[in-house]
Amino acid sequence: MSGENGKTWFQDAWAFTAICVLSGVMVMAFGIGFLVLPRFQRGRGPSSTRDAIHQALGFHTHEKAIGGPQPAPRIPTYVVWNESTIHQALSGDAKRGEFIAINCVACHGEKGMTSQTWIPNLAGIDPLVVYKQLDDFRSGTRVSGPMSAIAQSLTAQQTADVAAYYASLPGVPQTGGGRIPRSGRSYRSNDATERLIFAGDPKRGIAGCAACHGPGAHRLGAPGLARQNAAYIEQQLHDFAQGSRANDMNMPMRTLAGMLTEDEMHAVAAAYSSGMVEAK
Amino acid sequence: MERSRLLPLAHFITAFLCFLPAICLGVWQMLMRSPLPVPVDDPNAYYASVTAHGSIMAYVFPTLFAMGFGYAIASSAMGGVMRGEKWAWVGFFVSVVGTVIAIVPIAEGRSSVLYTFYPTLIGSPWYYVGLVLVILGSYFWIALMVINMRAWKQANPGKPVPLALFAITACAILWGWTALGAAAEVLFQILPVAFGWRHTIDAGLARTLFSITLHAIVYFWLFPTYIAYYTLMPQAAGARLYSDTMGRIAFILFLVFSIPVGMHHLFMDPEHGSGFKFVQSVLTFMVVLPTLLTVFTICASLEIAGRMRGGKGLFGWIRALPWGEPMVLAVGLSLLLLGPGGFGGLINMSFAMNAMVHNTSWVTAHFHLIFGGAVVIVYFAIAYELWPRLTGRPLVSKTLACSQLWLWFWGILITTVPWHIAGLMGQPRRYAIFDYSDPLVAKTGLLTILSVVGGIVLLCSVILFSYVLVRSFFAPLAEFMPPVRYALAVNPPASVPKLLNGFGFWTIVLLALLLISYGYPIGQFFFLRGQDSPGYSLTRELVR
Repeated sequence: MSGENGKTWFQDAWAFTAICVLSGVMVMAFGIGFLVLPRFQRGRGPSSTRDAIHQALGFHTHEKAIGGPQPAPRIPTYVVWNESTIHQALSGDAKRGEFIAINCVACHGEKGMTSQTWIPNLAGIDPLVVYKQLDDFRSGTRVSGPMSAIAQSLTAQQTADVAAYYASLPGVPQTGGGRIPRSGRSYRSNDATERLIFAGDPKRGIAGCAACHGPGAHRLGAPGLARQNAAYIEQQLHDFAQGSRANDMNMPMRTLAGMLTEDEMHAVAAAYSSGMVEAK
Repeated sequence: MERSRLLPLAHFITAFLCFLPAICLGVWQMLMRSPLPVPVDDPNAYYASVTAHGSIMAYVFPTLFAMGFGYAIASSAMGGVMRGEKWAWVGFFVSVVGTVIAIVPIAEGRSSVLYTFYPTLIGSPWYYVGLVLVILGSYFWIALMVINMRAWKQANPGKPVPLALFAITACAILWGWTALGAAAEVLFQILPVAFGWRHTIDAGLARTLFSITLHAIVYFWLFPTYIAYYTLMPQAAGARLYSDTMGRIAFILFLVFSIPVGMHHLFMDPEHGSGFKFVQSVLTFMVVLPTLLTVFTICASLEIAGRMRGGKGLFGWIRALPWGEPMVLAVGLSLLLLGPGGFGGLINMSFAMNAMVHNTSWVTAHFHLIFGGAVVIVYFAIAYELWPRLTGRPLVSKTLACSQLWLWFWGILITTVPWHIAGLMGQPRRYAIFDYSDPLVAKTGLLTILSVVGGIVLLCSVILFSYVLVRSFFAPLAEFMPPVRYALAVNPPASVPKLLNGFGFWTIVLLALLLISYGYPIGQFFFLRGQDSPGYSLTRELVR
């Protein structure tokens, strides 16, 4: 370490002062931050220096096991969206999926569009949605007589194939960016249903439906709802509100649906299915 | 027109051409947040607009401005022609092309991730590519500043580098190091997800990397303003700078302390323990030192000017100052805005007090007061100062210019003071729409309407600014236009200690501080794995 004229920086008064002052500041900062302050946190400081440093680094050193019997955990779904599940859910082959989907035609319609309004249309639905629901039916976290039986006969790869097939069909408009902005999609809207869908109702802690189900936004594993069947949407809202459907991770749907009135459920379902809410 | 003048001129014109539409977006955004009726009240449009406003105001506008100012300083220091002008043009075009590439997906609504990116939000990859190009263009400038300062030292061995050249080089070096944080985040984390090569992203690591850029970028914006404080204002006031050495120390302290402090933006983030948050909090307080040094030196320089003009008594020198000079007026108003802005910053950087204001409108109001107020008002004055020199045509009216600065000053106050108060009342930031029928929210309605009024005043000010510059551009050529003169110190140094004449040692200090304060906080992500979450891709569409 040498500056100009062959003099080392340690011989330079400016450099020496700078290094001394900085070292002093750092020693003080680390001393207070890692040794002194942790001892005063939340009134129950660490017992040793090692614990203090661990706490300052963000490790939990005070976790104690809670004794006694614990209730069994309630698991909403076994699907975790990480690199491998997303990759698997998107790796389906639509051709193979079309063949497997012959089993679905009776209820979900010829090309994934059905006239039975209590059954969902599947055409155009995001592959992650179909993948997650089939996995939930298979594991029993979502319950339906016929669907549970069918899902149990499928492997994970076949599930992805079916998902890819339905995604490839034209149908339910997709969520996502690139929507042309339109007036009236805020609290200023005069239409109570439109307000609920796009802005939600913060006084009740209800987020807008569109934030996850589109248009203009999406959430991983949440279906786009435009042109979905009304009776199906309404039934699902009821089931979430009652807790008889409980496969929503972190329970957003159980929480929100539980706060909606019957009329609101009906109106929201009708608005989405009628195409009043379109992606573009 | 000389080619060397064309270079800064092109930068300034492009910067202000981006600035005007961004201001309009800002006014609309405030209107959207207010209880007043507004065209296109669509939250999606709001977030697209915030992304455009922020990307232009945070990246494009100040970067182009600093580059233009740097080239103007370098060419005058080098006796008219700076080294490597060809490369400066290359950098300019890279930045401009990057701006265009970034703006298109924002306008399409496919990159509404706000200018601070916020992974796991993922926008169109072209948005990030565009911004990377903007930054890449500025790296040409960084290299040229360092090369020119070195060339000056070789041509003038043993002499102190002119303060303006010294400071703009410090600014360039600061930007060179600090931009690496955001660049690493974009290149190694966001772009692979945006292009679909990966699906998940570690948001904690991304935020930590971004924090390296997030605070020092403010000092990058501030540097041209401080350079004007030290080198242009005393000259415009007809006097001298109080101390050249003080200026050098201040700029060096900014270089050393403004980067290893970014974690004070992460006080509420769970991925870091309290230890490093405290250490960086202490370092943040160290940045207050050069600010106080600057305020002292500049006030002292103003007092010298006032007394030279016959001002007497304790405060009489203030009245004697030439307030009709845009540069003097702008610096005065800027110092006034820097006061409340700086103290607000002290609250934000204090580990405990931060919790009261975190994620509220207070923070947005704070950075608008500091950047929009204290910084940009001096950018206007720099433009007024350099414009006649670059175009060879005199400024059409100093009175109009001063009115514009006053308008801007009041506009900033009317916008940001109620905004701060709304934040203290709990108004959250990054919200597109508020339900004013809620009694708790309704209390902030009037304050937000006041901010809209302030925004309109700011818009008027920018229109006046454009008018003055455009009118001057078409004014007849001046017969003689003196070159820019940078202020001399009261006691101009014949020589300075070599550590105050270069950045080698200070760069090593900076890197050591970075390693100490960010080494573990970043390193931990590589051994505490499993924190990736799925990217929320705004542009995600089905693979058909």
